[in-house]
Amino acid sequence: MGLKQIRFVVERDLRMFMRYKFILIMRGIWFVSQVALFGLVVSKMVEVAAAAAGINYFQYYVAGVTIITLYSTSMFIGYDIFEEAEHGVFEYLLTLPVSRRELVLGRSIGGGLRSFIYVGPLLVVVLSLLGVSNPFHFLLALASLFLFAFGVSGMSITIAVAMKSGDKYDILIGVLDALIVRLSTTMYPPVYLQQAMPTYATIAQFNPLTYASDLFRWGTGIEGALHVNPFVGVLALFIFFFSFTFVGVVFYERRLEGGSWQ
Amino acid sequence: MQLKVSLHEATRSLRYVYERITSCGSFPSGASGLSKTPIIKTDNLTKSFGKLAAVDHLNLIIEEGEIFGLLGPNGAGKTTTILMLTTVIRPTEGTATVAGFDVKKSPNKTREMIGVCFQEPKLLWVSTPWDVLNWHAKVCGLSTEERKKRVRWALEQVDMWDDRRKTVHALSGGMKKRVEIAKILIQRPKIAIVDEPTAQIDVVGKHRIWNMLRDLRKEGSTIILATNELQEADALSDRVAIMHKGKLLVCDTPKKLKDSIPGGDIMEVQLEKEAPKKVLTELEALKEIVTVKEVGSNVLRLYLNQVEAITPRIMKLFFDHSLHIVSLHMSEPSLDDVFAHFTGLTLEEAQKTD
Repeated sequence: MGLKQIRFVVERDLRMFMRYKFILIMRGIWFVSQVALFGLVVSKMVEVAAAAAGINYFQYYVAGVTIITLYSTSMFIGYDIFEEAEHGVFEYLLTLPVSRRELVLGRSIGGGLRSFIYVGPLLVVVLSLLGVSNPFHFLLALASLFLFAFGVSGMSITIAVAMKSGDKYDILIGVLDALIVRLSTTMYPPVYLQQAMPTYATIAQFNPLTYASDLFRWGTGIEGALHVNPFVGVLALFIFFFSFTFVGVVFYERRLEGGSWQ
Repeated sequence: MQLKVSLHEATRSLRYVYERITSCGSFPSGASGLSKTPIIKTDNLTKSFGKLAAVDHLNLIIEEGEIFGLLGPNGAGKTTTILMLTTVIRPTEGTATVAGFDVKKSPNKTREMIGVCFQEPKLLWVSTPWDVLNWHAKVCGLSTEERKKRVRWALEQVDMWDDRRKTVHALSGGMKKRVEIAKILIQRPKIAIVDEPTAQIDVVGKHRIWNMLRDLRKEGSTIILATNELQEADALSDRVAIMHKGKLLVCDTPKKLKDSIPGGDIMEVQLEKEAPKKVLTELEALKEIVTVKEVGSNVLRLYLNQVEAITPRIMKLFFDHSLHIVSLHMSEPSLDDVFAHFTGLTLEEAQKTD
């Protein structure tokens, strides 16, 4: 497997991503309005209850929205694949002297990396709001967020390759987004989720967004968020990343080689 | 025992005849300077989509260094053949070897040998020509210095240097096509597959692209030219395979294909005086002449084969009988006539029926 070829594929995805200026600006506006409008209002609403458990809900929510943004921008690579299929660019990529494995691995890394680059400036804003109490915790959380972003990109590619219609992909991603975000602890502290809906809390324990958002909160020192040992969280995200980036590659490779993706 | 041997020989002979009809395995006799080494070989290559066989048991041999035309109307199976040769889609049945690599068993090696110029330019609207070509050059393994040189050279060759920073959605159809062609000019692959390379290109541009393809061949590339433009196939190809409804109809040099139509060449001779019966009988006795018709006063129309070879003998015959020629008009059949001869349809009609 050629690292050079993977690097070229990553580079291409990064370049392409930066050309979607309108989408990126809109995403940024979405993030700011979620924090500055929804976050502020809702945190006032739940202030009393959250404060009783020692949680600053605004901080909790801002961390959650950051992870949701990281998740949705990492999923973006799947849309690229459909756009490329629509313009026939996917066929072009498949004729290049790049193995299917290099192509998929490169795209998965590219998809994760570019979302991280996009979320970077938002992270700076968020950190200025939240602060970092323990640099080591923060670096570990950051590393696990890399794993999360690459894993989500891999998942997005897997779904895109498995689906044969762009419209169906669009709908599925919408539904998946609703389920995966809402059945996680990105927006609700685990303590309340457990009290309100124990079944939801159980499901949320298997959700990578839960681990990503809880690790991020742990890394920035937000109280009362983490429901599991942080190292278990890192391990869970590593398994998620490994499944979709390496094991998944074999699956994509089989589908791509020979055109059954068509 | 005797019967057994005879049957065996008969079967072998029949098989030979069958293979000559159904495959394109003969080396070109007309194309000079070819190494005559097969670089692509398809063996009963088939691709079915449900019950429809887009390519049906295709047997082809393409030699290294030739320009090989794949001619046929839309839906003939040209693009599907290309997609199988480039490992984008897997054959349903049969296989193909590309530069010695089996497309099914060694897809990665196969792709290293091939460069493709697609019928529809494969460009995302947010890209620019420079981005597309620079990245293509990188992936094809060109060094930084060589890449810069070749990208600039190719963009200049296709008249796109000044427009290199425009986004794709601002380019016309012809401009996009030129960017697509620039990809193989940069890559200089061992096997260049060009699908309708001059579609949407003006007449002047067309001739420039033809010359570029000829130059590419001179530099050592084998070129597969898929086209439904007869003039293009005729002008460029050393050999032409005509496909229709997924099947190979016939394959040979354009000249041989045209000569294969009985009486396909036409010679119209206007004489100073009426030709005597004896002359007409002598003309009809020539084996290359299929029909002699008197059309108008002192005008003969001869339907014949191999017009270039037989013309001196016809001229001598008129001269020997002191028949002075006032005017002479010759025409040879086009590849459209060849297509019509084998299918009963013109390319245009075949396009409509598909």
